[in-house]
Amino acid sequence: MDEKHDHRAMFSSERGHDGFVERSRRIKMAAEMGLARSSRGRHWSRALRRRLLRRKGATSGGSCGCKDDSSSSKTVEELGVGENEDDAVEVEARVHALQRLVPGGEELGVERLFEETADYIEALQGQVSAMRALACLLDELERDKRVMSG
Amino acid sequence: MGPARSSGVGSGNSGAYTTEIAESLRFEEEIHSIVHPSLDSSPAAGGSFTALLGLPANQAVELLHETGPSEAPSSAAAPSPTGELWRLRLGEHAAGPLHLPLGCSPTFPSNAALVERAARFSVFAAEDSPELSSGGGPSPRLKAEPPDSDSPPPLPIPTEKTQRPAKRKECEKSKAKGPAKKSKSAEENTVAAPKETAAENTDGEKLPYVHVRARRGQATDSHSLAERARREKINARMKLLQELVPGCSKITGTALVLDEIINHVQSLQRQVEFLSMRLAAVNPRIDFGGLDGFLLAECGPLATANGRGGVALDPALWSSHPVTANGARWLPQPQIRHVDVWPTQQSSTAWTRDGAAHPHALLNPGASLFGYDPASSVSLNSNQLKTEL
Repeated sequence: MDEKHDHRAMFSSERGHDGFVERSRRIKMAAEMGLARSSRGRHWSRALRRRLLRRKGATSGGSCGCKDDSSSSKTVEELGVGENEDDAVEVEARVHALQRLVPGGEELGVERLFEETADYIEALQGQVSAMRALACLLDELERDKRVMSG
Repeated sequence: MGPARSSGVGSGNSGAYTTEIAESLRFEEEIHSIVHPSLDSSPAAGGSFTALLGLPANQAVELLHETGPSEAPSSAAAPSPTGELWRLRLGEHAAGPLHLPLGCSPTFPSNAALVERAARFSVFAAEDSPELSSGGGPSPRLKAEPPDSDSPPPLPIPTEKTQRPAKRKECEKSKAKGPAKKSKSAEENTVAAPKETAAENTDGEKLPYVHVRARRGQATDSHSLAERARREKINARMKLLQELVPGCSKITGTALVLDEIINHVQSLQRQVEFLSMRLAAVNPRIDFGGLDGFLLAECGPLATANGRGGVALDPALWSSHPVTANGARWLPQPQIRHVDVWPTQQSSTAWTRDGAAHPHALLNPGASLFGYDPASSVSLNSNQLKTEL
């Protein structure tokens, strides 16, 4: 895969800012892919995978069906709380925001959206912990290596 | 207490469960002394036991003895009376210490009648409501309780005390209740708005699985019922989310709660991004190699050209493995060492070493964001949530 050649070159030669940014982006993508794979059964994980694969440069347009929020059938009025007009509008705005945040949320109704959000939050927390631990570990190793070699 | 105990284990009891009786007696004495420090040590052996029943002595004795000798106590009977005892005790209904004649034996019948009476009694006391008439109701439910009230150890009584009414409430919730329990279960069935339950106690009750309480003055046709059911489901989900997001349970109002949730999700996503930048800044001689390709590949692990691609950073690991010393597994082979994963100080040298002009102004390398406190355990419990949901 040429992509592998790409990032290997990046690792070895480009130590500058661009290399760093590119690398971090790849790492982030890898992390998200890991996240998506670890919770396979969920709607958001499938949507995330789709998004990532799309971004990876799938040229086939057919697969990346742009799913928009046309089918968000269950609207906010069913939340039933906040009986005023303004409240409903506010709540709806936030629901839309949440839909944009959660991958694949834009096609979900409110109820499903909340379910997916809960699972997504948990998965994110797990990922953050994992990455943090990895980073600490690597830092530790770096330090030790320097100590030993220096 | 020794002689009292031994005399308590009196007539009719097989010696087989003498020790168990002794145990249970000791337990309930402890309980008794905990709950009622004023009543010191009951002078009589069975005194505390019957005091728990809250009955005058003679009634208690009569109850006991009517059931006692007829029982063939098995060793299994011993644990259950203690279960009863605690239930009784939690009725919090202590008349003064009763003085039984020493000769009487506090037998522990596992009799249905006594259980029922005990159940009723504790129900009354705990519920503290004029439901004495419907005393027959709770008992069949509470009979299911002795098996599971036996197993927990006797000591954490205060917590059990709150659990019992909670358990009872749950039992109520799970069955369609009669009108006597309307007021109590109404507040559990209707999560959203605590309106008064109507006299119209309509079709929501007859169905075994739909527990929608018709509110006052609201239509009860199927359409609005379904809508109401869905609304309540949505509210239940939102409650779940509230629990997930720290500090959200105090907030009232849908919009604010949603705000919090959105903030939380955004902050988590930002953290992922920062961490990926941090990881990127690690000395690239730690070659992640074919890692990206590995993870991004559609079809499983590739045969990476780079020999170090053997990093088994299996994504499944991320969700199922506790991040402990297993971190050693994550690294390329030559660097496997048992490293203490929880460094006390977050060295920001990783940032400064790399001469790149990365926006570390954004990244406060303080402990707040990057500090890994082991106390916040790696609760990779997404799997758990899945099973619960």
